[in-house]
Amino acid sequence: MRFTMGCASLVLATALGATPVLAQSGEITVWSWDVAAAALSATVEGFNKQFPDVKVTVEDIGNAQVFDKTLAGCAAGGEGLPDVISVENGEAEIFWSRFPDCFADLKQLGYTDAIAAGFPDFKRTALEVNGAAYAMPWDSGPVTMYYRRDFYEKAGIDPATIKTWDDFIAAGKKLQEANPGVAMVNTDINSSDWFRMLANEQGCGYFSADAQSITISGPGCVTALETFKKIQDAGVAGQADWNQKFTANGAGTVATQMYGGWYEGFIRSSAPDSAGKWGVYDMPSATADGARAANLGGSALAIAATSDNKEAAWAYVNYTLGTVDGQVQMLKTSGLVPSLMAALDDPFVKEPHPFWGDQPIWVDILRTLPRIQPERGTPFFGDADAIFVATLNRYLNNEFPDAKAALDDAANQIAGATGLPIAN
Amino acid sequence: MRQRPLVAYGFLAPYLLVFAVFWLWPILNSFLLSFQNTRVNPWAWAPGANWGRLPMDPAFWNALRNTLIILVIQVPVMIVLATIMAVLLNSPLLRARGLFRFAFFVPVVVGEAAYSAIFRLMFNFDFGIVNKLLESVGLPAVPWFTNGTAAMALVIMAVTWRWAGYNAIIILAGLQSIPADVYEAATLDRVSRWRQFIFITVPLLRPILLFCVVLSIIGTMQLFTEPFLITTRGGPGGATETLGLFLYRQGFTVFNFGYASAVAYVMAAIAIVISLLNLWLGRERA
Repeated sequence: MRFTMGCASLVLATALGATPVLAQSGEITVWSWDVAAAALSATVEGFNKQFPDVKVTVEDIGNAQVFDKTLAGCAAGGEGLPDVISVENGEAEIFWSRFPDCFADLKQLGYTDAIAAGFPDFKRTALEVNGAAYAMPWDSGPVTMYYRRDFYEKAGIDPATIKTWDDFIAAGKKLQEANPGVAMVNTDINSSDWFRMLANEQGCGYFSADAQSITISGPGCVTALETFKKIQDAGVAGQADWNQKFTANGAGTVATQMYGGWYEGFIRSSAPDSAGKWGVYDMPSATADGARAANLGGSALAIAATSDNKEAAWAYVNYTLGTVDGQVQMLKTSGLVPSLMAALDDPFVKEPHPFWGDQPIWVDILRTLPRIQPERGTPFFGDADAIFVATLNRYLNNEFPDAKAALDDAANQIAGATGLPIAN
Repeated sequence: MRQRPLVAYGFLAPYLLVFAVFWLWPILNSFLLSFQNTRVNPWAWAPGANWGRLPMDPAFWNALRNTLIILVIQVPVMIVLATIMAVLLNSPLLRARGLFRFAFFVPVVVGEAAYSAIFRLMFNFDFGIVNKLLESVGLPAVPWFTNGTAAMALVIMAVTWRWAGYNAIIILAGLQSIPADVYEAATLDRVSRWRQFIFITVPLLRPILLFCVVLSIIGTMQLFTEPFLITTRGGPGGATETLGLFLYRQGFTVFNFGYASAVAYVMAAIAIVISLLNLWLGRERA
């Protein structure tokens, strides 16, 4: 046993070249959700080839539960937390600002500047605060339109001609006529997802990039909100929350879904019967020369400060997120878009996929990455988001004269809740 | 003799200790928290940060309004329903009485998460049985989760379904404590059944009804599960956000513990005021 262990570390040290690595051992636990948890489980095999003595247990406890239980654990001084925690980028700063002592500084564990430089800045800003790195970037969420080729074809629509939201609405009317019982797209008025995608495309968000002021009433956001209402009023959007979208994909009652790249795995798992009939195209924009690119979501992995085995936890995180093998494995399994830039050159990215009608979808989705503008969650994301969703509903009920008035009202409320100034 | 109180407190000590640590201390501590700005590190004394924000926060007023709407509609409807159910359950004509009592009581026993999930399925817009039934009699399908008014109605129906039977059982106990000879005398005097109900049953039930009302008000003030699980965290757009949910959101989504504490104290104060008002209205008239 001794011998094999020593041997393993020797092989490892040679394999990794320059830096000798100590063989880690023990057990670590990881909290995550849905397909993201499946992705993390999928990297364990590759990880164990390098670190055979670390037993990794991935617990899929659901997205909201990870947040709630992590909060409860941090409030209790780290009690009951696992070793590795999945954190969504938008929510990340809530954790660091309230519980900076709850998470290990990855820089102390071997997260060097050279490794960090392998990730894009828009992923890193929220994770590195006050000189510490609280989490390592995982996936990003380049927004794309997932569509049903057969429904589009039946209505004689070529998705390549859909460049603006007006094009999209016109196509939607045609499509719904040709395919009775099918909605052009699903939206959810109880969620800010659509607005945040539309706004990010227009270079606008709840807060400024330096997180010091409220920008929700800016022109880009006004355009985004107007666009959203236009889509609702045109009758091309069926109302569906997260689970209902999932059902609609499988039931064939929806022709398009707009989400981040991580939704690819959800489409495949929600609609296995319609394999081969799906495809992707770039999101439309307000104007024909718009960016046609946005980001929604994306996550990171953090290590609890109370972990008994931070070294093993770091070894796992670094393998899963910091190597091309780990990141591409998660892209294959769950469609999680690597934020490690080196992984984008992997041959797998260029492959056509039978489920997607032999479209090389990752080429098409990742092409939009350079056009994405950064967005800041800030510790006040929860405040702003709830206020926005309430405002959205009042605006859709025509309680405001126009989108600008609605967002001015939202900006005032966010200012009242956070104490931040409203940007001019 | 002198020793006695000490001995008594000695026996009470385990309970008092638990009470002090898990009840008294949190209650006092959250009162102190409500005067602190908990969004800075470390927390700072700033009475205006939370108490000043509260009256100006539209989301707070929205939650308060929603809670009061549910209170004003749901509690009377449920108590009336529960009374009717109790009277029917008490009828000597009823067969399989035990089974019916159990059946009406059982919603309280069902797990909250399970029943919420079933309600979500039943009221699903496209596939739910409720909309299918509505459509089968020619009525339009109702968007239960995307229309604010419909979502509110759904919450009220769910809460009523869950708690009406529970209150009926309490009222039933009250009914059975009314002596049979009162009714016997009334029957001999040829008082109709309906008048017996109005002039004998209801007045004699008053303390029990009052108990049910106060209990229901306190429960509704803290209403959380239904708007959280059934209408998706107070959706659509806060249309079913109750004070309980608002508190939860401030405390555990936004992490603003000071503000959440202030909200908790307002909730408690409102519940106390309404309960006192009830007791005053229902006091024994000399």
